[in-house]
Amino acid sequence: MESMIPAFSRILILTPILSLILFCQDAWALQTHGGSEGVVVHQLAHIQYLGALGYLLWDIRRSGFAGVGWLYLQRFCWLMMIWNGIAFVGHFAQMALPDGAISTEDGYLSALLLLPVSFGHWIYYVTALDHLVITPALFFLFLAMRSFSRAAASDKVEGGR
Amino acid sequence: MIAGIPLFPAILVDIIGSAANIAFAFLAWRHARSLSRRQPGNFVWGYLFYVTFAIAAFTISRAVGHLVKQFLLIAGHAEVWYVISPYSGGFNTLFMISVAAVMIFYHKGVQAYEALENEAGKLKNANRELEAAATQLQNLNQTLEQKVEERTEELSQSEKKFRHLFSASKDMVFFCDSANRVVDMNDSGFEMLGYRREEGTGLALMDFFTDPAGIDEFCRRLSDDGYIKDLDLGFLRSDGTAISVLLSATAIFGEDGGMIGAEVIAKDLTKLKIMMEQLAASEKMASIGQMAAGVAHEINTPLGIILGYSQLLMDDFAEGSEAYQSLQVIERQTKASRKIVADLLKFSRQSGSSREDVNINDILGDVMAVTEHTLGLSHIQVRRDLAAEKPIVVGDAEKLRQVFVNLITNAHHAMLEQGGGEILIRTANGENGTVMVEVRDSGHGIAEKNLAKIFDPFFTTKPVGQGTGLGLSVSYGIIHAHGGTIEVESPVHDPQRGTVAGTLFRIRLPQSGYEGQQADSPAMSV
Repeated sequence: MESMIPAFSRILILTPILSLILFCQDAWALQTHGGSEGVVVHQLAHIQYLGALGYLLWDIRRSGFAGVGWLYLQRFCWLMMIWNGIAFVGHFAQMALPDGAISTEDGYLSALLLLPVSFGHWIYYVTALDHLVITPALFFLFLAMRSFSRAAASDKVEGGR
Repeated sequence: MIAGIPLFPAILVDIIGSAANIAFAFLAWRHARSLSRRQPGNFVWGYLFYVTFAIAAFTISRAVGHLVKQFLLIAGHAEVWYVISPYSGGFNTLFMISVAAVMIFYHKGVQAYEALENEAGKLKNANRELEAAATQLQNLNQTLEQKVEERTEELSQSEKKFRHLFSASKDMVFFCDSANRVVDMNDSGFEMLGYRREEGTGLALMDFFTDPAGIDEFCRRLSDDGYIKDLDLGFLRSDGTAISVLLSATAIFGEDGGMIGAEVIAKDLTKLKIMMEQLAASEKMASIGQMAAGVAHEINTPLGIILGYSQLLMDDFAEGSEAYQSLQVIERQTKASRKIVADLLKFSRQSGSSREDVNINDILGDVMAVTEHTLGLSHIQVRRDLAAEKPIVVGDAEKLRQVFVNLITNAHHAMLEQGGGEILIRTANGENGTVMVEVRDSGHGIAEKNLAKIFDPFFTTKPVGQGTGLGLSVSYGIIHAHGGTIEVESPVHDPQRGTVAGTLFRIRLPQSGYEGQQADSPAMSV
């Protein structure tokens, strides 16, 4: 099929798409997507991701899969859902952070969250440490896949599928 | 005094965490890929592969964005990051949506696959059950076939066994139908009756039962009892000779209970009967011989005295006187009596005899020289078939001569009524060191009822005064004394002409010089 489309036509089709991606500030769309739309889309994506993980978790538990691999995968789902929640809150906390709340006078690595630290500031600070959740989540994903792989190698397919 | 909370831990965690995330996401994807390659048909592994791929893409896009951000900010190029940031965030959002999409929508595919697999499983189960049923049926079929084969083999073996029993039996075995027709008969049966198999087709009981009353008896007993045990019957051979059989039979009943035939076994007892008769005759002859010897001894003495005194008295009377003539009659009759006594002694083998090598051909030549003229007058021809090799026996020539004279005389008498005939004299060196002599005439033969009596002393069918009935008895005694046998056949079974009228006497004597010769082996055939 591809070979049937001339090279010129392909350039014509791809050019607007590339233009939209590369120069999104001045997107030549009929509807404008400026302002906080990016954050909203991102936050909605977090919710969708969280929902998808919840669905997967529910399905794994519903299916009654047994084995260590499926247990690890459930843990991945839990942690990833928590991370999504943290990230969701973290983005709001970052947006709510007033200008000048962080001082980088002594350099970026010596940046300080200036006192007094309000609840919003603490939320920001804690959610900035979100890797403490997402990294273990991905570690459990790795463990789950390794467990499945090893089980398959020894012809002991976990979950009995 | 602390002016604020340092953000360095958060920066550090961000950098290290991002790097670790890239590593874990990549490793998870690699395992998922190897899993799906190892079992490409497994839809779940395929699902996990796409999910981990999307997560890896998302994680790498995010982690790389974070690392770039941290390093740009550390390097003091915040303005560069501000340019890149929307693209990084955009890709990050895009991949996050992709992960969620793959997770949800692709999972729906998994469910569809599961449903299909479930149905396939059901089909598989149904197939398995069908296969099991088919295998079971096949096994059953095979077992059935095997059983049929085994039963057929057993039946075949059984049929072979009974067929062999039927065909190899030396006794007559046959099946007959309700109309007394022979349905099947073994070879021994045909041989016993003198038929070839093709000749025996359509043979009925009435064709070979000598007595029709025997058939009635056969049918009656089968009908009444359902079986027959040891029925003594006579069968008629194809050549007209009769044989004695002992018959056993079992009736065959049809489904309606009616008799549809019978299976019959008949044993030929002819030879046994002959042997029994021979044994009885032999015993009888032995006892008669003993009695004759006793009587002869007892009579011989008074006869000698009577003869002596009559001869003494003859000296006292003038020749031609009445008393002298009477004494001559006494002397003549006494001598006749003494001859009879002498014959009796010969029969009982009490008389003395010499032993020397004798050529039977010469003996017969002597006998024929004396008798041939008389035979010629009665229109009796004599044919000779003498052995080229001298048939020599050890014996008393005079006594043997007497035997053959007796036989020729009997043959002569047998052919007188019919006004002529033929006498065939045959000698041969027989088997087992015997010399065989046959004297055969074409006379009227001997009645079957008399066959067993012809060697009895004083038995004669001749009119009174023409024979003493001692000729064959004496011959029997002489042959027996020579260790030989004498047997009679009447009518004669000629190999060429079949059964012909006449009588055949067959004498077997031990050949001289034969190692297996037995000096005295009494045997007699009638």
